[in-house]
Amino acid sequence: MNDREIVLSGKELHKSFGPKENRRHILKGVSFELYSGEILGIVGESGSGKSTLLKLICGIEKPDSGELIHRGKEYTGIGPEKTGKFLQMIFQDAYGSFDPRMSMEKSLKEGVGVSEEEMVKVIEEVGLTKDLLSRRPRHLSGGQCQRMSVARALLGQADILMCDEVTSALDVTSQAQVVKMIEDVRNKEDVSILFVSHDLALVSNLCDRVMVIKEGEVVDYGETKTVINNPTSEYTKKLLDSVIDI
Amino acid sequence: MSKRKKRQKIKIIIATIFALIVVVVGALANFIAPHDPNATNAMLMRKAPSAEYLFGTDNMGRCVLSRVLDGARITLASTFLLVAISFLVGIIIGMLCGYYGGIVDTILMRIADLMLAFPQMVVAIAVAGILGGGIFGAMIALGITMWTGFARLARSHTLSIKNEPYITAAKLNGKNGMQIIFGHIFPNIVENVLVNALTQIGTTMIGLAGLSFLGLGVTAPQAEWGSMISEGRAYLQLAPWVVIFPAIAIIITIIIFNYLGDVVMEYRRMD
Repeated sequence: MNDREIVLSGKELHKSFGPKENRRHILKGVSFELYSGEILGIVGESGSGKSTLLKLICGIEKPDSGELIHRGKEYTGIGPEKTGKFLQMIFQDAYGSFDPRMSMEKSLKEGVGVSEEEMVKVIEEVGLTKDLLSRRPRHLSGGQCQRMSVARALLGQADILMCDEVTSALDVTSQAQVVKMIEDVRNKEDVSILFVSHDLALVSNLCDRVMVIKEGEVVDYGETKTVINNPTSEYTKKLLDSVIDI
Repeated sequence: MSKRKKRQKIKIIIATIFALIVVVVGALANFIAPHDPNATNAMLMRKAPSAEYLFGTDNMGRCVLSRVLDGARITLASTFLLVAISFLVGIIIGMLCGYYGGIVDTILMRIADLMLAFPQMVVAIAVAGILGGGIFGAMIALGITMWTGFARLARSHTLSIKNEPYITAAKLNGKNGMQIIFGHIFPNIVENVLVNALTQIGTTMIGLAGLSFLGLGVTAPQAEWGSMISEGRAYLQLAPWVVIFPAIAIIITIIIFNYLGDVVMEYRRMD
């Protein structure tokens, strides 16, 4: 894995929120690398800093300190209008990720100059039909909507996909379909994926490497098998125990 | 659609029909008025309602019905124009403040707070007094405070949706602030602010009529409901119809537009 190109990396990322007297440190020196074509899982409980890390990566929030690098070029502090050229996001709330007033076609075309044929091709790739393009988000099922957001991300032609708890709001069947689709996307397209989840079982099946975050600090990081078989932190052990208990 | 929602829709249709009747009457006032609203006749001073002068005549022998119809044109046009301008100014300022925040937001919202700290009519009388008489002066006087309500509403709606995932998705698709404000935020908040504008029509009408009543609105001989009441009150006991008919016109119009605003708001709450 280490022979492959590093597509994205974060170095010593710090982020805090709130007034000076009551400042909360959400991220405390998080560093990571995302290699070309891999799926990196980011695991942690609610409030551990996973979503904040994604916000820093896509430029919605600026880090207090640290560096973000895409293919050797630092882009720390650049807004999402520019980071969108190389990364796209698939959100937990699939419905909320589409403008409720817009048809799917309009949402998918927004900002990307794609032809009708290209769009239909991608729609079919994610297992949907073109008749759904005229619908608004509320007229799709949760699974269909999530597939649409994958289609949008693919149309953006980014080389990094960030999946933020993409399965947590779906039923079991749709979850399996979306996970299968993400695997297919990784195999077919030239993309690297950051897969954020609190579900260690899912991450261990899907991801090549995994990073476990607790209270803003990386407590375990490495090949998935290594982390699962030889966790170094008590927190990861507890997470694994809870998976086995289930 | 539930039975309750259907009933509410029927109420909206009925209220809209009545509102349209008022608007059409105002728009066609010049054509349907039986007499020239400004033509005076000393022989017809303070004539009681009759077959020829259905609403009677005023102190200068002018047909009250024709003046009520002509007044509808001025009252409705100035009200709609004022609400529309305040709505546009308010929604744009509110969206910009809500989306960008920062020092401009702080300054504009403190100005809005300042405006809201005084009763609207007190500020309007003061401003109209400085500007002098005339319908445009009255409109500016009311508009100075009116935009703040729309701005605050638009700002709060903008704050509630600006962190929605679809806004983030739009940013990642390369959209800049203005494109997001007018492409995503405006279409998603405009209905809510528009419903509020609908409920403001009645209040604005009262405001304009009030300023005209005080001599700070339209100037003679132009007919306007508020100024007609003001003129007629001097001889209320001799010719009460000069006051009663424009007052009824104001009351009916305000009831119609307030009712329309209420039923539309109620319908939206059912969604």
